[in-house]
This record gives sequence, structure tokens and C-alpha cells, in this order.
Amino acid sequence: MPSPRRHLLTAAAAWAVLSVVSVALVAGIQILPEIASREAQVEDAAFVLLTAAAMPVLMFVLVGLAYSALRFRAGDDDDEDGPPIHGHGGVQAVWLGVSSLLVLGLFGYGAVGLLEIRGSEPADYVVEVVAEQWAWHFIYPDGTETKELHVPVDRRVRLDITSDDAIHSLWIPAFGIKQDAVQGRTTYASMTVTQPGTYGGMCAELCGLGHTGMTVTVVAQSMADLEAWLHDQPPVPE
Amino acid sequence: MTGHVPVLHPEDAVAARRNLLLGVQLGILSEIMLFGALFAAYFVIRGGSPAWPPSGGVDRPELLLPGLNTLLLVSSSVTMQLGVRSAATGKRGMLLRWLALTLVLGGVFIGIQAYEFATNGFGLSDGVFGSTFYTLTGFHGAHVLVGLTLIVIVVNRARLGRIGADRHTAVEAVSYYWHFVDVVWLFLFSTLYVL
Amino acid sequence: MMRPSLLRALIGAVLGFAIGGGSLVLLGGGEMGPGQILGLGYLLALLGFLLGIGAFRFWWAWIAGGEVDPADEHAAHGAAGDWRRYLRFTTDHKVIGIQYLVTAFVLFLVAGLAAMFMRFELAQPGIQVNKDFYNTVMSTHGAMMITVALVSIIGGLGNFLVPLMIGTRDMAFPKANALSYWLLPLALLMVAINPLLGGFDSGWTAYPPLSQQANLGQQAYLMAFITIGVSSILSAINFLVTVFRMRAPGMTLFRMPIFVWAMTVTASLVLIATSVVAAAFTMLLFDRLLGTGFFRPSRGGDVILFQHLFWFYSHPAVYIMAVPGLGAILEIVPVFARKPLFAYPLAVASFIGIGVLSFMVWAHHMFVSGMADAFHIPIMFTTEVISVPTGIVFLSALGTIWLGRIRFATPMLFVFGFLAAFLVGGITGVYLADVPTDIVLSDTYFVVAHFHYTIVGGTIYGLFAGTYYWFPKLTGRMYSEGLGRLHFWWFSLAFHATFLPMFWLGIEGMRRRVADYPAEMGAVNLFVSFAALNIGLAVAVFVVNMVRSWRRGPATVANPWRAQTLEWQLASPPPVDNFEHQPTVSATPYQYGSAAAPSPGHPAP
Repeated sequence: MPSPRRHLLTAAAAWAVLSVVSVALVAGIQILPEIASREAQVEDAAFVLLTAAAMPVLMFVLVGLAYSALRFRAGDDDDEDGPPIHGHGGVQAVWLGVSSLLVLGLFGYGAVGLLEIRGSEPADYVVEVVAEQWAWHFIYPDGTETKELHVPVDRRVRLDITSDDAIHSLWIPAFGIKQDAVQGRTTYASMTVTQPGTYGGMCAELCGLGHTGMTVTVVAQSMADLEAWLHDQPPVPE
Repeated sequence: MTGHVPVLHPEDAVAARRNLLLGVQLGILSEIMLFGALFAAYFVIRGGSPAWPPSGGVDRPELLLPGLNTLLLVSSSVTMQLGVRSAATGKRGMLLRWLALTLVLGGVFIGIQAYEFATNGFGLSDGVFGSTFYTLTGFHGAHVLVGLTLIVIVVNRARLGRIGADRHTAVEAVSYYWHFVDVVWLFLFSTLYVL
Repeated sequence: MMRPSLLRALIGAVLGFAIGGGSLVLLGGGEMGPGQILGLGYLLALLGFLLGIGAFRFWWAWIAGGEVDPADEHAAHGAAGDWRRYLRFTTDHKVIGIQYLVTAFVLFLVAGLAAMFMRFELAQPGIQVNKDFYNTVMSTHGAMMITVALVSIIGGLGNFLVPLMIGTRDMAFPKANALSYWLLPLALLMVAINPLLGGFDSGWTAYPPLSQQANLGQQAYLMAFITIGVSSILSAINFLVTVFRMRAPGMTLFRMPIFVWAMTVTASLVLIATSVVAAAFTMLLFDRLLGTGFFRPSRGGDVILFQHLFWFYSHPAVYIMAVPGLGAILEIVPVFARKPLFAYPLAVASFIGIGVLSFMVWAHHMFVSGMADAFHIPIMFTTEVISVPTGIVFLSALGTIWLGRIRFATPMLFVFGFLAAFLVGGITGVYLADVPTDIVLSDTYFVVAHFHYTIVGGTIYGLFAGTYYWFPKLTGRMYSEGLGRLHFWWFSLAFHATFLPMFWLGIEGMRRRVADYPAEMGAVNLFVSFAALNIGLAVAVFVVNMVRSWRRGPATVANPWRAQTLEWQLASPPPVDNFEHQPTVSATPYQYGSAAAPSPGHPAP
């Protein structure tokens, strides 16, 4: 019959190996399908960190369960009880300590990331966004209004968002921004796009029958191209 | 049917009374959260409004009648508490008088509220000022009516001799409820009328 | 004499509805819309129903100045073996527990059928049936499952077991207990028939402005949920007074079974939080019916205010759902590991910690809602911190299992299943607590997967574990171990196959609450739908096991598991009046492994 010490060491070894392997597998991957902005980059890094931190926790419990199921199973005729262990101050203290540190660390990292994404850098370019059932309207600094969102690359762009009716939510996955559009107030989303191209956006808050189809085309381009495009837009009918 | 009917032992009866009082206190805790939510809504809405009342021809109610109501309710809490003391010392006559006085004070309160609502000049659907005002005072008024009903029931039981020095849990329970309703009014008065 | 009965309750409901709705139609003329009619009609129907079932008959005497007849009150407990007491206003906590449990399982099956419809629609891209109907079914599925999660363990197992586990004869307020139960059937009916009233597409969260515009089904849901809230609050008061005042001599708070602690913390949360959502839903109903403007910006109202009020309740609500499951699991694990519950006092402290912290995290459901920025960092902090006490549950369970002598009866299988599933739920919660990642994941299938992992992992696995474990006590018979194993393995495989891919779907961009999605996700969704079908089949195995075993299962002894909590000292099922002699207690019910420890139910030597 292996001693408790032996059980502990075997399980710990299994845990260590599995943790190292799983963290190594996770460490270099990209989790977000598309990254085209600074914000999305920060978010993807957060995903990777959380997943890496989760691996040892996951392995700890799974190894504990699997090891116990295999090695501590009572035989069919075994009527005896296990040892009368009601607790262990040291184990409890270490558990509390490690989990608290882990949580504080994750919080700190998350707070830093949050400030990076939503910090109060002034915006270089502001577009007003008005959502309604079931379409998006974009109003540019020169007054042009369109149904397609065009933004300049490498500038900090701020979207000032509101809704005419139900709650909508503007989500542009490649830019890593999502912000509800609420009637009666203006909400804000800021981004610095790093890759020019054409992307998709959609409504991310149930807003009625047309919610499924409430999508939008988003184009990131140089400022010169953007201004040329704006110049070509038809004027808004009265 | 299985066996004999278990007789409630004297210790059981005492425990049962204490249990009832604890139950009433817990119920009041839940009601505090209900009013808390309504007050929170009021403060959020008022805080988000550039002016209060929001412009649109609605004036804040005068303080005279609500002030009078405050005096009435506070007095009714005093009479209620004196009623509890009478019950605890077995003085049935005094109990009946104090409870009747509480009823009168509460009834006048309701009357003044009804008059005030009728002459306020704004209604429930008059924007968010009317919404918050009438919802808060309306919920409170409903609680007062429930309280008055409970007092009537207790008065009747006292009249029939069901209340004594060693069995007046109903009076005590109703008094907890009544004091709670009074305290809610104090908050209402301060926030809706004064502040 | 008109004896109260279920039939009379139904007649009362119909009459009440006719009087309430009819009077508005007659008196109000054309001004009264369907909303007002449904409102007053429902209120009076509920009153009529309760009158018909006899809910108030003991209080009439008291109100009129008389005394309650103790013999009459005792008779309301019902006689052993009389199946009709389950259809009446019976005050025996054991009967009420079974009423709750059976009702919850029936509701679970109906909600499961709704899910089958949803997965049928989602099996392929494009709209197969109808997207508006899909949203109504989705909302109904949510509302029903939330209700199951809220009442099944505490109302079902809790009611049956808590008085037994603390060694007393019934709950503190048996009549109020029965009233709590009988408030439910009409409310549940309203939720079930809401599609016939036009349905509601907002989801159980009912956010305005959408919910202000929505059909009559929305109103049915709001009124039903408020009713269920009132029932819960009454029940919570009962639990708290019972646990604090009626424990057997010698049972100090730190000798109570952990399941009783879990019920106590849960009841405290119900008591404090529920009124807030009742207020929010009432304000929403007022906006719909009485022209108020709480959540209408055009009248000075605030849309996000609703979300704050709603989530202030609904976050504690998820702990109201999970903590009973956690309590059941921790109660079961020592019995099948034959080892004391590890770190019992710390486990109690962690339940209390979870309860307190649960009031400080609500706004993590609102990170992208447009609420004030100042909320983000403090709420992210409290939400991350709440994972520390939640983690203690794993310490306690793993510490009990480690070095134990494990028997894998069906309840223990579900304990292991819980530990795996709730773990995934908890870890994925951290992604939602962290604001940068939450921005990506909010309103996607990642969230759907997370809450199914926590609620199914915590509540439903806990419910299954508890139902199998206490089945012999409730029925006097033993369930089929073979069918139990089949249920466990089939359900678990199907559950993970259904919900694990949803994490990936969410990251890839599949939104919640839509009947359609990009074509690239078709294959995975088809797989998920097939797996979901298997969940239904596995649950069918459970139902067959329960029904067959209840009717014809082998009779069982008082304590087939050799457990130490007080309910196992009584016959299976227990006699109507529970304990013939007052038990006394001298230790926690986890004295496994020491030959000298007496069973806590016997008088100390």
C-alpha cells in the first residue's frame, strides 16, 4: 500500500508534466480569429495569458480526480472507512494563498489591459454612430452620413454611439471593440486600427426581428483614401 | 390517521411565538430591499436629470400636508408602541384605546394622501417625476392600508379576549410592521418632498 | 361543505380571471387594453386558485377572532400512504418537498423540449422554422430553466431534508410552506402558455426598451416571475427561522450538515435580493401598462437603470441556483469516500463569503452596456476575488476524496461529474470577469457555454446527485444502479459534446439569441444539435429509472449508505411526524474513519 507521501508525489509529478505540456501548447497561439487593431492585440494577449494560467488549475483538479478514481477506489468487499482527516491547516493556508495571488495577478494584468484599451487618450478622429431598428448610420466630421463605416488606419478613432430605439451593440470583431448603443445617452468606443482592409461588423444585442441581419461593412484605409471616399458620397437627402 | 394529536407544550408555544416574530422581522428585511430598489431608481433618475422636477409644467408638492402626515405617522408609532406595552401588562382597555387611536391617525394619513394626490396637478404618467413620486408613495400607501387592516384584526381579537400579557405576539408583530412603515415614510418625506 | 381541492382551485382561477378581466372590460370600456385585462385577470385568478386549494382556511378563523384548531392543523399534514395529499394544500414538509421536486422535473422536461426545438432550428444555417418563434422558445426555455434551477434543490430536497437533518418535526411555518408551493402552478402555467399570448423575444433578462414594445407574452413572463419571487421569499423566511431556531439539542451551527449551511446561505440571498428584481419588473410593468417612464428616455427615464436593478438580483440569483448544488455535492462526497468532509469550517466560511461577495459583482454583466466607466475596475476586482471562496469548494471535495475509500455508486459519479463541469464553468468565468476578454465574448456563445457549464455542472449535477442519493429516503425504495450509470455517462458525454464547442463558436463570432449564423459554423452547430438530442435521451433514462423504481423498486433499509446525518436514523420514508424522540447531537456528521466516534443521532454515552 503506497504511503500518502508516495501518492502525493506521483500525482504531483503527473500534474507538473501535464501543466508544462499544456502551457507550452497554449503559449504561442493566436486565439482571436482576426487581429487588425491595437485593442484586438491587447485582448488576444489577455486570452493567451488567461488560458495559460488556467492550464495548471485545470490539470490540478483533473489529475486529482483521475488519480483518486484510479488509486483510492474501494474494493467490492471493502467496508472500511478512510483515515479520519478533518482538515489540514497548512494545505488550507497554501490553497488560499496561491488562489489569492493568482487572482490578484490576473486582476492586475486585466486592469492594465483595460486602461490600455479604454484609457483616456484623446481621439484623432471621431465618427458619430446612430443605431436604429435595423440599420447603422455613421456621421463623419464633415457631416457626411453613410451606412458603411470607414476609418483611418494608425489613428486613434473614437465612435460616439447612440440609439434611436432599442438597445443595439456595435461589434467589430477584427478591431476588438464592442459597445452597446443606448437611447438617451452617448456611449464610446475607441480603437487604433493597424491593418487596412475590409471587415465585418454586427449588432451584438438582441433588438427585435431584424437583429440577425443587422450587419455592417467596415473599411480601414489611409486618411487620404478615406477623405476621397467621403467626398464621393451622395449628400444626405433632407 | 396515525396516532394522537400532539399537544402544543407550553415551551413549544413560547418558541412558536418567538419564531413568528423572527419571521416578521425577516419579512420586513425583504420589504426594506423592495423600497431600497425603488429609492435607488428614484436617485438614479433624479441624478440623471438636469433639473428636478424636469421641465414641463410640473411643480413640486407643497410641504404643509406631507409635514402634517409625518406628524400623524410618527404619533401613530408612539400610540402603537404604547399599545404593545399595555398588551404586555395585560391592560386590555388601554390596549384597545391605543390601537384605536393608531387606527385613527393612520386613517387620517390615508385621507390626506388621497386629497394630496387628487390636488397635486400631476399624475402617474406625467413623465418620470410623476412615475417615481406615485410609485413610491403608492407602494407606501398600500403598505399603510395593509397595516391598518392588520390593526383592525388585532383590535377585534383583543375585544374578544384573545390577547393577554403572555400571548400578545400579534400585537408585537403588527407593531414591528407599523414602525417599519413609519420609517419608510420618513425617508419618503425627506427625499420626495424636502431634498 | 365545499372541501378545498385542486379542482376547486382551478375553478377559482377561472372565475377570478373572468371577474378581474371582465370587470375591466365592462368598466373600462375601450380604454383597457389586453395588458391591463391580463394583469388584473391574473391577480384575481391567483387569488381564486389559492382560495380554492384552501390556502387561507386556517387563517380565516384567526382573522375573524377565533383560534386555529390544532387537530385541524395537524390533519393538514395528511396521512401516510395517502397519495391525494400531494394534490392538496398539505402542510407536511416532506410532501411539499416532493411536490416541488416533481414539479421541477416536469418543468425541466418541458424546458428541455424547448431546447430541442432551438437546436433543431440551429442545426443548419438559415432559418428553418421562424425566427420570431425561435426567440420566444429561447426566452421560454431560459425562463423555465432558471425557475428549475432556483427551486428544485432548495424547494424540493431542501424542504424534505432540512427539518430531518436538524432533528425537528417540521419547518417553522408549515402553512406558509404549503402556500409557497401553491403559488407556483399558475405562475408556471403563465410561462408555459406565453407563446399563445404572442410570446416574448427578449430572453429572461427582459431589457427595455425592447421589452416595453414586446407582445403580451412578455407581460405574462414578468407577472409569473414576480409570483415565483414572492413564493421564494416566503420559503426563505421559513428556512431561516427553522435553521436558526429549531435545531436539535447539541447541534451548534458548526455541527450542522454542510447541506443545511448551503440552504441557509441560499435562503439569505433569496431574502435580500429577490425584492429588487420584483421592483424592477414592477417598474417595467408600470411602464407597459400605466404610462410611467422609468426606462423611457423620452420621458426622463434611464434604460441602463433596469440592467443595474435586474443584475443586482440576478447575480446573487446564480448563487441561489448554484450553492444548493454545491451543498448537496459536499454532503454526498464524505459518504462515498468514507472520510470526513475536508476543511468543513472553511467550506462554511466560503459559502458565506460567496454570499456576501455575490452582491458586489453584478455589473460584470454590463461591461459593454454603456454604464459609467468607474464601475469597470472595482467590479472586475470583486468578480475575480469571488473565485477564491468558490475554489474552496474544490479544496473541500478533493481533500475529502484524496486518500479515501471511494465507492462509485451513482451519486458519487455525479459528484465527480460536477467537479469536472463546474471547474470548466468557473475557469471560463474568469475570461468574462476580465474586461478586455469580456469585450470580445459578451453576447456570444461563449457566455452561453459558460453559464451552462456552471448551472448544469453545479445545479443540475447537484440535483441528480442529490436525487439519487436521497431517493431511498424519500421513497423507501432503491433506484436501478445500472440505469443510473447509463444516465450519468450518456448525459455527461452528451453535455460536454454540446457545450464545449460553444466556447469556440463564441470566440469565432457566433452571437447569442439569433436563429441564424454564418455558414462556416454549420458543421459544428450540426454536431452540437446532435449531441443535444442525446442529452434529452439520457434524461429520459433518468425519468424511466425514477418512475419504475418509485413504483416497483426493491424496498430499502433506513440507512443504505451508512451515512451519519440525522435523516438516515429514521425509516425510509420517514413517519409523518418525523422523530418519536428528540435526537441529540454531539459532533459533525462526518465522523468517518474513527471507530470510537458515536453516530451523532444517538444520545451521547
